[in-house]
Amino acid sequence: MSRLHVLGCACLLLVAPAIARGTEAEEARLHARLSPELAPQVIEVVRTAESQGLPTGPIVARALEGASRQANAAAILEAVRREASGLAAARRALGPNASATELDAGAGALMAGVSEDSLANLKKARPNGSLVIPLIVLSDFVARGVPVNDASNTVLAATRAGAADPALLRMRERTNERILRGELPAGASREGLRELLSKTVQAPAKPSGAANPAEGRRP
Amino acid sequence: MHDDDRWDDAIREAYQRPMAGEEYARERAIARLGRERARDGHGGWWLNPDALRIRPLLAVASLIAVLAIGAWGGAWWMASHRVPEHLPRHAELTDGPTAAAVNDDSLTVTFMFRAPGASRVCLVGDFNDWDPNATPLRRAALGDAWTARVPLRRGLHAYAFVIDGSDWATDPLAPLAPAATFGRRNSVVVVGEGGAL
Repeated sequence: MSRLHVLGCACLLLVAPAIARGTEAEEARLHARLSPELAPQVIEVVRTAESQGLPTGPIVARALEGASRQANAAAILEAVRREASGLAAARRALGPNASATELDAGAGALMAGVSEDSLANLKKARPNGSLVIPLIVLSDFVARGVPVNDASNTVLAATRAGAADPALLRMRERTNERILRGELPAGASREGLRELLSKTVQAPAKPSGAANPAEGRRP
Repeated sequence: MHDDDRWDDAIREAYQRPMAGEEYARERAIARLGRERARDGHGGWWLNPDALRIRPLLAVASLIAVLAIGAWGGAWWMASHRVPEHLPRHAELTDGPTAAAVNDDSLTVTFMFRAPGASRVCLVGDFNDWDPNATPLRRAALGDAWTARVPLRRGLHAYAFVIDGSDWATDPLAPLAPAATFGRRNSVVVVGEGGAL
């Protein structure tokens, strides 16, 4: 056995108690808030996700949210399973190196109807940076009524154009303001993108780019 | 002399005749008036306008002093309750010693929610296991704003507000979570290097 293996085993021995304590704490929280019949089923989903290397925090939180909202057991179990499968799909789309926060945000986007391809394209557009904010903006657009394809194309175009997180958040705010003023969500998001591109890219954005912003916008 | 004139003289004389014990009655009347005056002023000089005399110059100086103290107090209150304009209204990052005092992995985030007419507002989220009683917001001294300062770990957090124990509401200016898993959406906040977004 090489020194590296010995070192690895030693680290594992050191970390194992902490992992076990975290697992016990999650199970205790679930037992405290869920019915005796439901808690073991949720814990099974959590342990399965854990064995796949997925973050378990969002799954536990989803179950506890359901308990606080007084949802029935079937709805809670369904939500927990959807959360777990969403996290797995997000990892497929974003890659094995995606952070737990990215997987959480990605799972939310997927559950809202965004395709795995759109997430994968976002990852290609920003291969080294965090995708949390683009995914948050994308999910917010969908939640406010922007059609999924329009929302995906808008965020993808902005990310490809090199827009930083603050610029994306500004675009979200402007789009939200327009929607609140009564504009159609799709048009509001296109206008938000046009405004962002006019500031992000040196050359002014062409009107055709706003109509189909996913095309021809690589920086 | 006519009978009527005599009658008038008799009455006038009767009125002018000193009465027995008149001096004593006068002293009693004066003493009583003094007591009644004291009662009218409730016995305190601060409510008796006749008892307080102040020079006009001193009155003006006192008024200026009171106004200055009020303005200073108001400015202090505004400064201590201010939400910076460059941050979203829902989540103000408290920078400096407050955030650093928590630990390296978490920052203190101030949530603000306007709920006119509410008697109780609580913050629920994944950071407090969605417990509707865990994080009550504090009503601001003026207006209908409610605030809570919560240490949050870095990362993505879903949250909502519970008004009067039953009505769940999202933060109107924060990004929305995409899926309405249990029939109602949540808001999201991202706590990272740049603060709370």
